[in-house]
Amino acid sequence: MDIQEYFSLVFSDYTLRTITLGTAVLGAVTGMLGSFAVLRKQSLLGDAISHAALPGIAIAFLITGAKDSNTLLIGALVSGLIGTFWIRGIVTKTHLKSDTALGLILSLFFGFGMLLLTFIQKQPNANQAGLDKYLFGQAATLVESDVWLMAIITGLCLIVLLFFWKEFKLFLFDADYAKTLGFNTKFIDILITSFIVLAIVLGLQTVGVVLMSAMLLAPAAAARQWTNSLSKMVLLAAIFGAFSGVFGTAISASQNNLSTGPVIVIVASVFVIFSFIFSPSRGLLFRQIRFISNRRDLEQQKTLAFMYHIAETHENISHPHTIKILNNFQGYTRKTLQKLVDKDYVTLDGTMWSLTEKGFETAANLYNQQAIKDE
Amino acid sequence: MNNAQIEIQLIASLVAVACAIPGTFLVLRKMAMISDAISHSILPGLVIGFFITQDLNSPFLILLAALTGVITVVLVERIQKTGLVKEDTAIGLVFPALFSIGVILIAKNANDVHLDVDAVLLGELAFAPFDRLMIAGADVGPKSLWIIGTILSMTIGLLIAFFKELKISTFDAGLAASLGFSPALIHYGLMTVASVTTVGAFDAVGAILVVALMIAPAASAYLLTTNLKKMLGLAISFGVFSAISGYWLAHWLDASIAGSITTMLGLLFLIIYLFAPSKGLIAVMYREKQQRTEVSLLTFLLHLKNHSETRERHVNHLQEHINWQKVRAKTVLDLALKNNMIIIDNNIVSLTQKGDEFTSKAINYIITNEDAQIEDMKDDFFLFRG
Repeated sequence: MDIQEYFSLVFSDYTLRTITLGTAVLGAVTGMLGSFAVLRKQSLLGDAISHAALPGIAIAFLITGAKDSNTLLIGALVSGLIGTFWIRGIVTKTHLKSDTALGLILSLFFGFGMLLLTFIQKQPNANQAGLDKYLFGQAATLVESDVWLMAIITGLCLIVLLFFWKEFKLFLFDADYAKTLGFNTKFIDILITSFIVLAIVLGLQTVGVVLMSAMLLAPAAAARQWTNSLSKMVLLAAIFGAFSGVFGTAISASQNNLSTGPVIVIVASVFVIFSFIFSPSRGLLFRQIRFISNRRDLEQQKTLAFMYHIAETHENISHPHTIKILNNFQGYTRKTLQKLVDKDYVTLDGTMWSLTEKGFETAANLYNQQAIKDE
Repeated sequence: MNNAQIEIQLIASLVAVACAIPGTFLVLRKMAMISDAISHSILPGLVIGFFITQDLNSPFLILLAALTGVITVVLVERIQKTGLVKEDTAIGLVFPALFSIGVILIAKNANDVHLDVDAVLLGELAFAPFDRLMIAGADVGPKSLWIIGTILSMTIGLLIAFFKELKISTFDAGLAASLGFSPALIHYGLMTVASVTTVGAFDAVGAILVVALMIAPAASAYLLTTNLKKMLGLAISFGVFSAISGYWLAHWLDASIAGSITTMLGLLFLIIYLFAPSKGLIAVMYREKQQRTEVSLLTFLLHLKNHSETRERHVNHLQEHINWQKVRAKTVLDLALKNNMIIIDNNIVSLTQKGDEFTSKAINYIITNEDAQIEDMKDDFFLFRG
């Protein structure tokens, strides 16, 4: 199946439609909430939570014996939350730093989860075959009810976000100020964190424990490059996330042997790289261009200032001088000189240059401004 | 115990020691999450190395995979340096991308690569004794034992040779630089050791356990001591203890050895986290409660000192004036009485001479605000703590 065939099938084929919708909704909600994680400098929290959810899935299975994904997700949610609050406990109550706390919870919970999973596999009665999919995710196992669940939770997220928008925003950028205004910052904090945990748990079935953190981070990190406004960033991140989901599904469906999770992550990473390079205000490309043009301007000004110093010592400011005397000066190139001529600051006559009235004045002002700034 | 069991425990212990040493420094340098990133991103290196060498245990493959680990670190630093995202976001972006590339490479070449992603992440220690190293036809032991043994001896060699440099650059990078040790060199050296250890250990115990073995023993040890040598020693012994007890837990449950070892590490950390003498949760909470009461006591004494009129010093008035609840007011009052700072005469509270002296000094402390002075002062004056 190639990509074109995929797009013609996506509306008619049940499985493809479900998976595409599922990954798109998932991408949107993780992108939205991921923005908060990224801005709160809790990027790696997602990684820790997704790993910490594993024992919950196994325990939920051990208790209920059910393979119903909703039951397992509740288990994942509980253990994800326990992990999150333990991380907070470690950071606030001991001198261990947040990176250590994250790494600890991540690896310890995951290891415990693996112990339980292997334990379950050895149980004689268990129809445990479905548990492995939570490790790397299997978008193919999504059914319509899963998509509905995602859509409902996304809607819920959206409502809460809109409802507490002001509080979230304030808390995000100036938590102390929010506190002094009388907002219950602890509540806001727990609300945001719980929703992040919820979004991660939702994605486990599709993308898996290991790659879930990228779903949270990549769309948000890409969106961050294009705007400085929170609402725009959240919106953009949701769009990037949804598109990563759709494109990822399309690519993995059109090739053999490609699991959806990793492809979605790669697509999201491509979005990030593109944003890093081509974003107009922050991107590396335009930054480099700005850097070069600034340097050129500076060199031009240096040349002009140098000329001004020479012209100053003469009664007639337009007294011609040879170009040679500029040679020792760093700012001078044939090009900058030509630029100065174009701007009517300098006139050229063979190998001689002379400052024009306009150029003299500009240079004098240039100098003045600097002098004023220095004072 | 048969031969295979002893070998498994030996491998697990060696891995634990090999991980604990770089792990201690990673935890102290606040770079614990880098080990997680490295453990995931070695996957593409392993796959590409496998294409070239066709042998999972070849030293070339280990070097190539370790190189991917170092590349990850460099990439993270590069991205961070652009200032476009913070360091943790950079880590979170790089390793899933590299890991995904690895997974896709495996999936696309499933017929040629006898590599399983599960195996990379989880390892299977139970099979380690079956893969023997043959030298001139003689069986000299399991391959992974030799690999991890070699890595461990290199790590120990480097640790002894550069202990001083590591110590200084960890705690005071500026001083290290001014003394002429390059912090960058030591940084990348440490990253290389961590990468090599991760790669060497992954096929025995899996990438996730490597992270657990690096961070958990070091973090547990850090809660018990602030001496680097003791911390290293404790981390190593915690690692070895968990390795051996974890093996027997797995034996008993018939479950994954890597998972059991991690679980033992988790239990160990939980116990230390709760009960560590001065930095554990209980000790910290007790100390916080003590400090709260003592601050209240000080407030109370200051109030007494500021008011000479009896109306302000009546026991009941205090409760409503300073706005404390009954229990709290009583605790503070009792503490003050026990320490001979006040006397209560006919429900009127007044400072004793000792209380007066303490309060004056405390005010002095609050004005000058010199660190640690107040704790010494408390030791001088208090018979009982809050």
